Amino acid sequence: MKKPGIIILVLTLALVTACKKVRRSPGRTYMPDMAYSRAYETYASTEELQKAGVSYNAMPVAGTVARGDIAWRYPYANDSAGYANSKNVTNPHPKLDAGQYLEAARLYLIHCGICHGEKLDGNGPLYKGGDGPFAAKPATLVGDPKYMAMTEGTMFHSVTYGFNTMGSYASQLSTEQRWMVIHYIKEKQAASTGGAAATAPLAADSTAKTAK
Amino acid sequence: MNFYTVPDLLLRLVNGFYPQFFESTSAMIPCKPTGRRVIFLISFFIVSVVNIWAQDGKALFMSKCASCHNVFKDLTGPKLGEVLDKDQYGGDTKKTYQWIRNAASMASSDPYYSDLKSKYGSVMLSFPDLKDAEIDAIWDYINKTYAAGPGGGKKPEGDTATGDKKSNPNAVIFGVISLILAIIALILMQINSNLKKMSDDAEGIMRPDPVPFYKNKVYITLFSILLFVVGGYYVTKGAIGLGRQKNYQPEQPIYYSHKVHAGINQINCLYCHGSAWDSKHAAIPSVNVCMNCHKAISTYEKGPKLYDENGDEINGTAEIEKLYKYAGFDPKNPSVWNPSKSKPIEWIKIHNLPDYVYFNHSQHVRTGKVQCQSCHGEITAMDEVKQVSELSMGWCVNCHRQTKVDFNYTAGKGNKFYSIYEKFHNDIKNGKMDSVTVEHIGGLECQKCHY
Repeated sequence: MKKPGIIILVLTLALVTACKKVRRSPGRTYMPDMAYSRAYETYASTEELQKAGVSYNAMPVAGTVARGDIAWRYPYANDSAGYANSKNVTNPHPKLDAGQYLEAARLYLIHCGICHGEKLDGNGPLYKGGDGPFAAKPATLVGDPKYMAMTEGTMFHSVTYGFNTMGSYASQLSTEQRWMVIHYIKEKQAASTGGAAATAPLAADSTAKTAK
Repeated sequence: MNFYTVPDLLLRLVNGFYPQFFESTSAMIPCKPTGRRVIFLISFFIVSVVNIWAQDGKALFMSKCASCHNVFKDLTGPKLGEVLDKDQYGGDTKKTYQWIRNAASMASSDPYYSDLKSKYGSVMLSFPDLKDAEIDAIWDYINKTYAAGPGGGKKPEGDTATGDKKSNPNAVIFGVISLILAIIALILMQINSNLKKMSDDAEGIMRPDPVPFYKNKVYITLFSILLFVVGGYYVTKGAIGLGRQKNYQPEQPIYYSHKVHAGINQINCLYCHGSAWDSKHAAIPSVNVCMNCHKAISTYEKGPKLYDENGDEINGTAEIEKLYKYAGFDPKNPSVWNPSKSKPIEWIKIHNLPDYVYFNHSQHVRTGKVQCQSCHGEITAMDEVKQVSELSMGWCVNCHRQTKVDFNYTAGKGNKFYSIYEKFHNDIKNGKMDSVTVEHIGGLECQKCHY
């Protein structure tokens, strides 16, 4: 009678350990040398390099211009003089065509709309009229005379370097994308005052179809 | 002071002197109509004025102050809830008029000025257009909001998250029952053989000693077959599972809840993982992306209670403070923060593909228009993320066999690349095939993913 008892005990133990709910370890693999890259992968730790005395700095050399960025360069640095000068900068990006408008709208909704609102009313899901978690009121891009009058250059300066509680979006939007989003905001502002006839993106969409 | 007491009193007076006032309008008309109307109009007027005034405070605060000030938190400027209590104001809103209309002019007269300037690094904008009454309305709104406490005095939402703990009570009950039954069966077998022996002894039949069960060939054979089947099952299962990480749910350096961010607060996946649109990797956001919002969100108070997988409650505010430590950000002194000094957070990668598999996020998300959730599961409901899909080759191949490609280029949008598949376009036109799957355009070719 002792042996079945032991067997039952072992089986229950096995069952209990097999049912551990949370899997905190990634487990093993057949051929680790094939599964794990020998080369440095994205986000790999560079600690080993530093230990081996290799000088490694993830930052680009000062003055580096990203490929394709030369046309959109912005001359001013992140200081109060740069902010003051920014108002003289005009948008180097040509007016958005229908496809670019859709892309700019997509970028705006992902990166800006979360605070500034889908309708550019400064009331996105993070603010919700003060009920959301974001403590500061985001700028009312359409309707507030201050932002209606803000030049494209100043907008670009704020998006690039951040302003007050708003952070820098230079890491999330490329220089060209930032200029495109600013076009989008300006078009929306123009549309709100009825001066939208010149751009009319939806009408442009149908003409683009026939053109292609 | 409650603004609604005055009109309330008036209404009560009206009710007291003219009890029939609200009973019927027909009764009201013949007896002294003018007097009642006047009182009614006056009270109505007061109610509406008070309402407009109270609303104005909030509206003015939202349009003029809220982009830099919060009632409870220091942002670009100090929290306004306590400002009026300073010695130099003593609760008197009149003493703040000059500051609000032209803050820079206060440099010599207000002791508070230089402290603030050094702490926040800038001087408040001037609001020369604000009238006395408007400033009073703003302070009134601030005082009321501050007295009500954060969240408007509302209690935080009940913990809806606790219902997630799934344990299957049926399985436990079945296990216990089968164990008890097995023990009973063994005892019965023992009793049976003992009884048989006793009856044999009584009847005087001599039988050979019974073979013990561990030498019984039938038992041994049955046991080996059972062992083979059960063992084989587990060995095969384990071998298939080698290198697969389904349900992998590592503990991250910061308890980051996708449910709170992507679910409740509706932040788009691509806000943080934007490179899933542009590149092979769905990149992990750098600390400055977190700080875009968390410069202004320093506490967790409005969402549901959070629990980790062990059921322990998580303090959301403490987790945000962990982020500040990585970022080198001091919420009490936000203007001196230098983003370039922040340290990366070493998040643990959950979805790992072996090095011999090529996978491209952009190809799936942008070109294939696959939703993030189709592979990563219901991320918007996960506090701690775990791997939901198997990420095995069979799983990939299955999806490539079933997923239809949006071949429809002629509508002016769509992918022009697919126009080169003339044969398929003709077959669709002739009705030979109704749709094209990823398999048809080479989605099952070995070297597409292994090279």
